[in-house]
Amino acid sequence: MVNWQYSESIESREILDIKSKYTNYIGGKFVEPNSKKYIDTISPSTEEVLSQIAISNQNDVNKAVKAAKSGFEIWSSLAPYERSKYLFKLARLIQERSREFAVLESLDGGKPIKESRDFDIPQVAANFFYFAGWADKIDLSWSTKGLKPHGVVGQIIPWNFPLLMLAWKVAPALATGNTVVLKPAETTSLTALLFAEICDQAGLPNGVVNIITGDGTTGSLIVNHQDINKIAFTGSTQVGKLIQKSLAGREVGLTLELGGKAANIVYEDAAIDQAVEGVVNGIFFNQGHVCCAGSRLLIQESVHDQFISKLEKRMQALRVGNPLDKNTDIGAINSKEQLNKITNLVDEGVADGGNIFQTECELPGNGFWFKPTLFTDVQPSYSIAREEIFGPVLTTLTFRTPDEAVEIANNTEYGLSAGVWTEKGSKILWTADRLEAGVVWANTFNKFDPASPFGGYKESGFGREGGRHGLLSYLKESS
Amino acid sequence: MIEIKKTYKNYVGGKYVRSESGKTYTKELKNEFYELPLTSKKDIRDAVTSSKDGFKKWSSTTPYLRMQILYRLSEMIEGNKESYVELLMHHGLTKQKANKDIDKSIQNIVWFAGLADKWEQLAGNLNPVSEEYFNISHQNPIGVVFSLSGSNVSLNELLMSILPSLTVGCSVISYSEENSVVALKFAEDINNSDFPSGSLNILSGKFENILNDVSKHVEINLVALHKELDNDGLKSIEENASESVKRVFSQPSIEGLSSILPYLETKTVWHPKGT
Repeated sequence: MVNWQYSESIESREILDIKSKYTNYIGGKFVEPNSKKYIDTISPSTEEVLSQIAISNQNDVNKAVKAAKSGFEIWSSLAPYERSKYLFKLARLIQERSREFAVLESLDGGKPIKESRDFDIPQVAANFFYFAGWADKIDLSWSTKGLKPHGVVGQIIPWNFPLLMLAWKVAPALATGNTVVLKPAETTSLTALLFAEICDQAGLPNGVVNIITGDGTTGSLIVNHQDINKIAFTGSTQVGKLIQKSLAGREVGLTLELGGKAANIVYEDAAIDQAVEGVVNGIFFNQGHVCCAGSRLLIQESVHDQFISKLEKRMQALRVGNPLDKNTDIGAINSKEQLNKITNLVDEGVADGGNIFQTECELPGNGFWFKPTLFTDVQPSYSIAREEIFGPVLTTLTFRTPDEAVEIANNTEYGLSAGVWTEKGSKILWTADRLEAGVVWANTFNKFDPASPFGGYKESGFGREGGRHGLLSYLKESS
Repeated sequence: MIEIKKTYKNYVGGKYVRSESGKTYTKELKNEFYELPLTSKKDIRDAVTSSKDGFKKWSSTTPYLRMQILYRLSEMIEGNKESYVELLMHHGLTKQKANKDIDKSIQNIVWFAGLADKWEQLAGNLNPVSEEYFNISHQNPIGVVFSLSGSNVSLNELLMSILPSLTVGCSVISYSEENSVVALKFAEDINNSDFPSGSLNILSGKFENILNDVSKHVEINLVALHKELDNDGLKSIEENASESVKRVFSQPSIEGLSSILPYLETKTVWHPKGT
C-alpha cells in the first residue's frame, strides 16, 4: 500500500487588511461607540486576537435607529427601480471582493475555506442578486392588497453563517423598502463590518444600512427600542421566546428563525452510499453549527448495521483542522462557550447509556475543536436526541415502519427541517406531506437557494426567508 | 299557550354540551332569559382534545370534499334564513340589517367554499433554484386555531372569524361572548353540514375567564383575536404565547387571499434531478 504523505494547501491571508479596531457603521459613517467599550475578537482555530469590536450601548442603539428612521424617508421615496439598482450594485461588489470575504469569514468564524469560498459567499451575492430583481416587482408578488414596508427593521443574526445570515436579512428588507439596524454576533462581526465598507463603496444612501456590534445586551436594546417597527431574529429558540415576550402588546412585526433537531430518515430502500454521503453532509457541514442540521438520524432497522458501518468508515475520512487549509472538511468550533456546550451534552449522552463513536484524528493544540461524533443505541428520551447540540454530533434512532418514522420525526417541539432517503417516489411524497418541517430535503440535504423559502414550523419560529414567501416577512398590508 | 324556549349549549366534538363547571351567564332576549354556558378551563381543554382529532380528519379531507361541505353550510343557512333574521331582530337589529347580514354570510360561505381547492395554487409555487433540483413550496394548515369572535351581533362577522382558517383545513375553536346566541344557533347548521366532529367547536362565555388557559395551552397553534382587547389583555396573551412560540394575530385581515395567510405553514421540498 502506498503511504501517501499529506500535504496541506493553505489559503493566503495576504488579501486581508484587518484593522486593529472596528467601530459601528451608522448613517453612512464609521463612528466610535458612545460606550467607548471594545472587546477582542479572536480566531477560534488559533485563539489569536484578530481585532477589536465595539460593544454598543443605549446611546449607540438610539443613534442607529434614528439614522435608520431618516434613511427610511429617503429609501422609501426612491423609485423602486433605483432601489433595485443599488442591490444589484451591492451584489456585484460582493462578487468582486468575494475572496477577501471568504478568508475573513473562515479566519474569524472557524469554518473551512472551501465552505466560505464555495458556499457562503457565493450565496451571499446570489441573495442580493435575487432580491434586487424583486425591488421593483413587489406589486406582482402577492395578490393581496397594497403591501408596504414596515419601516425600521432591527435584525439580529447568529455566528454560524455570519455574512450569509446578513444577506438573508438585509437583501429582502432593502428590496421591500425598509431600512435596517443590524447586529452581528459578537464572535463573528468582522465580515459584517467589511460589508459596511461595501455599502459605502456602493454609495447607498446614508442610514439605509446601519451596523452596530455588541453582545446580547445590545440585541435586547434594539428589540426594546420604541422606534423599531419590526424585528427579524435568527438564533436559539430560548432567545427567540424572550424576544417574542418582549414584543408582547407592542405593534412591532416579528419573524423568528430558531433552533431545530431535524430528523434525517433513511428507509431500507434508499441508495445507501448516496444516503451516507447525504447524512454526513447533513450533520458535519459547518461543524454542525447549522440550525437545520440533520442531527437525528432515523434508520430503518433492517439496514441499521450496514448503514452504521459505512457511515463510520466515511466519517473517518473527514479531515479536521485549519479552516484555511483547502483540504479541511471540518474547521474549528466557533467559541469556547459552544465547545463547552457540545462537550457537556455529549458527556450526558454517554452517561445516559448512548454508544459513542468518534473518529481518530489529531486535533490542533490551540483553538476549539471537536471530533466528529456518532451516537448509536440512543433512546428518544435522551437529551442528545431532544436538544439542539449545534455541533458535529449525530444521534441515531431506529424505526420499523414509515408511520413510526414520521411519528418519531415529528415528536419534537422543533420543526425546521427534515430529510428523507428512499428510491421510491411515492414514499418520498407520502413522508414529506406528513413531516412537520418547513424544509424537507429528499435524497439530498442542506441545500439552499435565495429563491427557496426557509423557516420553521412550531418552536422553530415563524415567517420565511427567501423566495416569494420571504418578501412577506418584510411587508405589511396597508390599511 | 306557552312558547318553548331553546336551551343553548356549547358545541364540542359534534355534540351539544353544557359547561362541565355547571356555570352559566344570562342573556335577555325579547323578555326571555337564556342561560348560556360559561366556558371553563376544563371545557377549553376538552375542546382542544376534540380539535386535535378534528384537525386530523378535516385536514386530510380532500379539498374537493371540503368545498362541498362548506357549500352545504350555505344551503343550510339559506334554508334557515328566516330564523336567523328573527334572532338578529330579537337582538335589536332592523329587519333590513338582519336580512343583509344573512345575505352577506351566505355570499361569504360560497366564496370560501370555492377557495377550498384553489388557495394552494395561489399561495404556493415552484422555486427556480440554480441547481438541478425540483423545488416546490406548498402549504399546510397550521393546526388548531382558537378564534375570538367580534363584539357585534352578526352571523357574518362570526363567519369571517372562522371561514379563513377552516377553509384551509385548520380545526377551529370559535369563542363568542356578545355574539354567543347567534354562534350557538349556528352550531346546529354546522352539525347538519357533514363537518367531521371536532373540526369546528363553538363555545360561549367570558373571554377574560379563559384568556390565560387559551394562550398558555401548547396544543393551540394559533390565536386569532377578532375583537379589540385592551392592551393589558393583548399583552398577557402574547406573553403567554411566547412560551411555546404560539402565533397570535390581533384583528387579522379578512380580505381575500390575505385572510388565509396567517393559518398556513409553508413547506419547501427539494429533490435532485438526474438520470
